Amino acid sequence: MPQPYSMESKKIFCDISKCQGCKTCELACAVEHSASKDLFLALLESPLPKKRRDTQFIEQHVSCSISCQYCQDPPCVEACMASCISKDEKSEKVEIDQTRCVGCSMCIMVCPFAAISSQAGIGEKSLALALKCDLCPDRDSPACVDSCPSKALSFETRSEFEKKHAK
Amino acid sequence: MKPAVNLKKSMQNKTFVVIGNSAAGLAGIEAIRKLDKNSRIINISQEPYRPYSRCLLSYYLAGLISQEQLWIRPANYYKDLGVEPLLGCSVEAIDRKNKTLKLKKGNELNYDKLLCAAGSSAKQIEVAGVQKKGVFCLRTLDDAKGILSLLGEAKDAVILGGGLIGLRVACALKKRGIRVRVIVKSSSILSQILDVESADMIMRRLKANGVEILIGRAAQEILGKDRVKAVVLDDASRLDAELVIIAKGVSANSQLLEKNSENSQDEAIPCDEYMKTKDPAVFVAGDVALTYDIFKRAAAMNAIWPNAVRQGKLAGLNIAGENIAYEGACAMNAVDFFGYPVISFGIIKARGNDFEELIQRDPSRSIYRKVVIRDKRIIGCVIANDIQRHGILLNLAKNAVDISSIKNLLVDEYFDFAKVIPLIKKQKAAFKQPEYSDVALSYAGIKKLFPVSSFL
Repeated sequence: MPQPYSMESKKIFCDISKCQGCKTCELACAVEHSASKDLFLALLESPLPKKRRDTQFIEQHVSCSISCQYCQDPPCVEACMASCISKDEKSEKVEIDQTRCVGCSMCIMVCPFAAISSQAGIGEKSLALALKCDLCPDRDSPACVDSCPSKALSFETRSEFEKKHAK
Repeated sequence: MKPAVNLKKSMQNKTFVVIGNSAAGLAGIEAIRKLDKNSRIINISQEPYRPYSRCLLSYYLAGLISQEQLWIRPANYYKDLGVEPLLGCSVEAIDRKNKTLKLKKGNELNYDKLLCAAGSSAKQIEVAGVQKKGVFCLRTLDDAKGILSLLGEAKDAVILGGGLIGLRVACALKKRGIRVRVIVKSSSILSQILDVESADMIMRRLKANGVEILIGRAAQEILGKDRVKAVVLDDASRLDAELVIIAKGVSANSQLLEKNSENSQDEAIPCDEYMKTKDPAVFVAGDVALTYDIFKRAAAMNAIWPNAVRQGKLAGLNIAGENIAYEGACAMNAVDFFGYPVISFGIIKARGNDFEELIQRDPSRSIYRKVVIRDKRIIGCVIANDIQRHGILLNLAKNAVDISSIKNLLVDEYFDFAKVIPLIKKQKAAFKQPEYSDVALSYAGIKKLFPVSSFL
């Protein structure tokens, strides 16, 4: 019995009608995941911090900012051969335990949204590690949502987002 | 001990026995426990270790991870889940009539339902001298420890087999400073999972990093007194080696149950889409199960981790009383040798007129993308050095989405998930997972907001 699709857990949504494709969210994401959390200091870090979301164009002038969708039945959790990706049953968060990741790319292989990337050379092991949205654990609201100048990104429950966009 | 088993059985609680504690077995246990908090679950494993990941053994061999990182469940896993482990214990026979397992140690176990996730074993080869010291395969933690124990004295290694495991071991031993020669019988490496072009690109990368590969050869004899000294090939050449690794693939550990007698090549155990065998009390999952391949449209053995977890999970849920059908398996593999990643799934070589291949190459960046299409649906792909889009393609294929409108983009440099969003609206039924509609929900009114196309 797969878990029922929860409508009451929060995730990041992108309102495509408002997205301008400016990539401010990408920048805010990378800065938030840097050691210094400051844009100018982050530029001096090695390796450079990596963004976990991507702004993509559906067609000319129509864009969308995409990251982890916190799937109901996440394929990455099933595919991870180090068992380091897990879904918390209460919070519905899908998390990667980077201390156990070996960089095998199995999660990248199965992610329907191409929301997982890898970064080489972080940590003592010379292994690449999987990276994806972690909903900014140090913040109340994710950095991308706070930074979005056109308020296209929102951090809310599925029922809230669906209510807004019901035709 | 025996009366206790019967006593529990006479009470309401059932006894479920799970054979195997790797991907499928663990997923099965966890699925049963999720629905059924009270039943008795017994987990039998031939190996004495707590659950570990076989797929990580090559990383362990290379010295990239510690033994601690091999364990894929916490130390108190069995206790926390209320599961009785029987580790280092193998099953002699299954008495399906009396629903009893005979253990090698002599005792018996009753079950109400049985999940056989016994996995697979390394295929053995018939070459004189395979029993000598220094000949290994890499399937279990003990194999890895055996190879590691010889690292100090071994200077040369010969690997028989150019598949995934063979090459992973080759890279691991190379990292340990050993001279590695890989003997490949077929005309290219990774011939089961890649096409010739992508396999060639990997081969060049391996050779550039000092892994020697001999194509179209086979081992004839392994020389040495009791220890390996050299391998003689079919062209009579002699390769000195203190370590020989046999990596010729795996065969299912299906000895305990009946196989498909008409199909002697398929050694795995046939089951229905609920992972149930002919006996309604016996379920199978993982490498030992013969499942339906959604792209080949036939039963096939796809012994890979994600399939095993999925099958184990569904078998467990169905054992606990659910009735959920398995959507079918497919072949998929991710490899990364010396920083060169390649991923593939499904059917990767066109097999007739109704197949279409889309290919794009970018030699300056060693990028290669190939998508195979049949009947307006993606059925396979190979992607080298630009792997992120693979998941998008895989899920379009699994959901059998009609991709005719974005066909030209699939192998294009600028393909990304956004190009799929218009399809989600048009083919609602195909995109089964609810997350797709989350992404596409706000896409509806776009044309009104941006009437750009009307100007053009």
